[in-house]
Amino acid sequence: MIKEKGWNRLLTRLLFTGPTLFAFVTVMIVPFLYGIYLTFTNWDGISTTQSYVGFQNYGEVFRDAVFWKSFGLTLQYVFFSVVLINAVAFALAYVLTKGLKGQSIFRAGFFLPNLVGGIVLGFIWQFIFSNVLVYFGQQAGIPIFSASWLADPDKAFWSLVIVTVWQYAGYMMVIYVAGLMGVPNDILEAASIDGANGWTKLRRMVLPLMVPSFIVCIFLSLQRTFMVYDVNLALTKGGPFKSTEMVSMHVYGKAFLSRDYGVGQAEALVLFVLVAAITLIQVYFSKKLEVEA
Amino acid sequence: MVGSRSSSAAWLKYVVLAVTLFLFIVPFILLLLNSFKANQDITANPLSLPGRLDLANYTNAFDKMNYIAAFTNSLIVTVASVLIIALCAAMTAHYFVRNNTKFNQYTFLLMVASMIIPFQAIMIPLVKVYGSLGMLNSKLSLIYMYLGFGSSLAVFIYHGFVKSVPAELEEAALIDGCTRRQTFFRIVFPVLAPTTATISILNVLWVWNDFLLPSLILTGPAQRTLPLSTYNFYGTYSVDYGPLMAGLVLTILPVIVVYLFAQKYIIRGVMQGSIK
Amino acid sequence: MKRRSRTSILIVSLLVIMVLSACGNAANNGQEAGGSSSGGDGVKVTLLNSKGEIQQPLEEAAKAFSASNPDITVEVSLVPAGQSPFERASTLYASGNPATITMLDTGDVEKFKDRVLDLSGEKWMADTVPNATEHTTFDGKNYAFPLAIEGYGFIYNKKVLDEAVGGDFDPSTIRTRDDLENLFKQIEATGKKALVISPMDWSLGAHYLPLAYATQSKDLAEVDQFIASLRAGEVDLANNAPFNGLMDTFDLMMAHNIDSASPLAGTYERGPELLGKGEVGIWFMGNWAWPQISSFDTADGQYGFLPVPISNNPEDFGNSEISSAVSKRLVIDKEFSSPEQQAAAKKFLEWLVYDEQGQDYLVNKANIIPAFSNITIPAADPLGKSIQEHIAAGKTQQSMSTLPADHWAQLGSSMQKYLAKAGDRAGLITEIENYWKNVK
Repeated sequence: MIKEKGWNRLLTRLLFTGPTLFAFVTVMIVPFLYGIYLTFTNWDGISTTQSYVGFQNYGEVFRDAVFWKSFGLTLQYVFFSVVLINAVAFALAYVLTKGLKGQSIFRAGFFLPNLVGGIVLGFIWQFIFSNVLVYFGQQAGIPIFSASWLADPDKAFWSLVIVTVWQYAGYMMVIYVAGLMGVPNDILEAASIDGANGWTKLRRMVLPLMVPSFIVCIFLSLQRTFMVYDVNLALTKGGPFKSTEMVSMHVYGKAFLSRDYGVGQAEALVLFVLVAAITLIQVYFSKKLEVEA
Repeated sequence: MVGSRSSSAAWLKYVVLAVTLFLFIVPFILLLLNSFKANQDITANPLSLPGRLDLANYTNAFDKMNYIAAFTNSLIVTVASVLIIALCAAMTAHYFVRNNTKFNQYTFLLMVASMIIPFQAIMIPLVKVYGSLGMLNSKLSLIYMYLGFGSSLAVFIYHGFVKSVPAELEEAALIDGCTRRQTFFRIVFPVLAPTTATISILNVLWVWNDFLLPSLILTGPAQRTLPLSTYNFYGTYSVDYGPLMAGLVLTILPVIVVYLFAQKYIIRGVMQGSIK
Repeated sequence: MKRRSRTSILIVSLLVIMVLSACGNAANNGQEAGGSSSGGDGVKVTLLNSKGEIQQPLEEAAKAFSASNPDITVEVSLVPAGQSPFERASTLYASGNPATITMLDTGDVEKFKDRVLDLSGEKWMADTVPNATEHTTFDGKNYAFPLAIEGYGFIYNKKVLDEAVGGDFDPSTIRTRDDLENLFKQIEATGKKALVISPMDWSLGAHYLPLAYATQSKDLAEVDQFIASLRAGEVDLANNAPFNGLMDTFDLMMAHNIDSASPLAGTYERGPELLGKGEVGIWFMGNWAWPQISSFDTADGQYGFLPVPISNNPEDFGNSEISSAVSKRLVIDKEFSSPEQQAAAKKFLEWLVYDEQGQDYLVNKANIIPAFSNITIPAADPLGKSIQEHIAAGKTQQSMSTLPADHWAQLGSSMQKYLAKAGDRAGLITEIENYWKNVK
């Protein structure tokens, strides 16, 4: 790379990274640091006074057994969701970049779930799980569907996973599609002439070239599923009897429902550190993979 | 590529795809069906077909939401945020990739890590800081915050794709006497078009449908975006589902149109890229 | 080359337009805000509504109020679904941008008392019904305007019950648990189901379970004492008669529940449908459910409340009283609002209580049971009427409206566990006792 000098270099730097970093720091980092400061006080979200309490809030985080229980549950949920989301999304993207007739209609269709959010999504899925499937199960005599999934702790958990996959598979598919389009056709055609079948092409040529997309998608699905709140709230509300309360929902309830703002904020920070560690390890290892590939 | 397979295999593929597609859009079909029905018919049986094409929910939603004004607000905020994020993030990602210093690496890592910050953890500090600066209740502040919140993801995605742009291309341009800026705008940004389109779609979706951030920043009714005005149909214990669903259909239709339009652009962008 | 420059020109011009239009709007807002706080040509009062179903009537009331007070405009905004009134109000305070009038739940008022006006000197203080301001009075100062009385119990569909008892159903005949059981059986004899239990945590945790506290004594001070002993861990719930009585009634309800096969599957929307269509005779809920019931009504609007009996002694407190209390409060901000705005806000509250138009909006449009004795308009719907009749006859008990904020969520889930038979009464008792020992 040709080096620029002095002022020009600084100017380029400012122009290229200045606006982004300034906004990023002022909008995310400053409030975040301020939030960290608040965890050392006993402020409850509204009172006009606050005093310094040291690490007391963090002590409570480690004593809050429910927090750790819901974190464990979230780990399970994240694992199943991430695997399924990416498997489904990649399969869809792979099939829908083959030049099928009407593939853009299909893509748009798979993408639709992203457009319906919040309470309505919850309402519709709640209806599907507690009415449609039950009706179907009773009529067809299929025991697994005969009682509402949302009323049973284990099945409610799987309902959450299913809705999550449904919601994000289309989103990740879009990213995979962008990546697959970057795989040069001439390589694949050359391979076809050399007699490589579909599976070999996929494994030897496509997958290695798709590593950047996988990094992005796995990271994103990790992030989204760890932070799950909307679907949790809209579909199960943490029920039945708190058996599907994911960690974000617990933190939120702690801060705003139990009026324990300091502890809630501290739990959010602990959660941040844990999730950051997990996802950064993922990014680090897959970046290595990228280099090797 | 098409037609290289036997027709029965192609048929099978279509059937599997169609069934999967159906599973994916069932809730959406339900949303559309129910948007024509009265509230008690929805809660009684969301699967039933609407008796007739009753647009009462739509007119009700249209009025209650103050649709035109809210649409305009949403449009301004979304278009401005999405363009600014794409431009700024592409430049930053490009700079980070081409100047791979320790400082840039750590900054990049910080941005990636920040995506894991739960929004609730900075919600109150955020409004405290910007409230004290008197920067609330303005679309401009909201757009600025979208840049702050959205740049991490965009930089992250661009970062991966900038690497696939051959550095030789840029070096050649630099030797030809282009400045860094010219190189970026003339060579790099156009090559990144499919990525830009993808990121923009994701961002349009996020900004257009976002509720929590605008609800904190835009406090005055005149500033309300579409998702904010949709919330007029919620009660404490129950929801007025009919007009709410009609309102949602009205809210998401523009995004679907944009998506279908952008699809074409992605494909065109890729084709341009392969000609180079 | 050509399309590149065209695209960039397009982007740049769009950006310019956007920024300009956004700037323009921001400037306008600045002027608006300036105008309202200086109070030159008009005062703007904002009201944060946390009762979604009355958003429309409130907006209309605000317009009507402005029509008779042209120098004041009232702007009503709504707490978004999924956010609690406390969270929304505290966020707005944090941003330095609170509403002039904020609608809070009773238990939250105390948290805001340093930030809101003392309303003890207001004219309407003299006309409040009993127990309307006690929970919002601290150090002898009342900080909140009591907006609405709400009540809950067993809502019955009179048509179904008439058929069950073979004649005109008289609610006063149900005074014990055995009476209730008999009624359930009579309903089931007609081929219908007796009742539906809506399994939402707020219904079980905020409404049903607190009956166990409220029925401890007629004397409110003794109820407070009971709560204090719960916190201190000194209550033996296993041997507490009202609690066990209430749970015995719950067992009875569970046995006759239409959803007993899958008791947690139901949603709120299912309740009004089953009751309104007459598929069940009874639903445990409150008067806020009227709009939903009425949309399914098959009983010509004939509904009413039955108390939840806790024993077989008709004289026991709670067996003929239904639970009711003031549930929503209005507070006026004193920190960020100008004196003109505060005065205008007070005027609006007074208008609601004393102006015929204001009363009409409150009672007939918003279906609210007012907490003021000077308002004599009868309630507009059968459930409101039923509650008013119980109040007039002295047949009410105070709902527990100052429970800890997470009580409904924590113990509501314990009740769900019991309802689903995933836990027994001993387990429920342990969870309740532990909750109270650890709550802040």
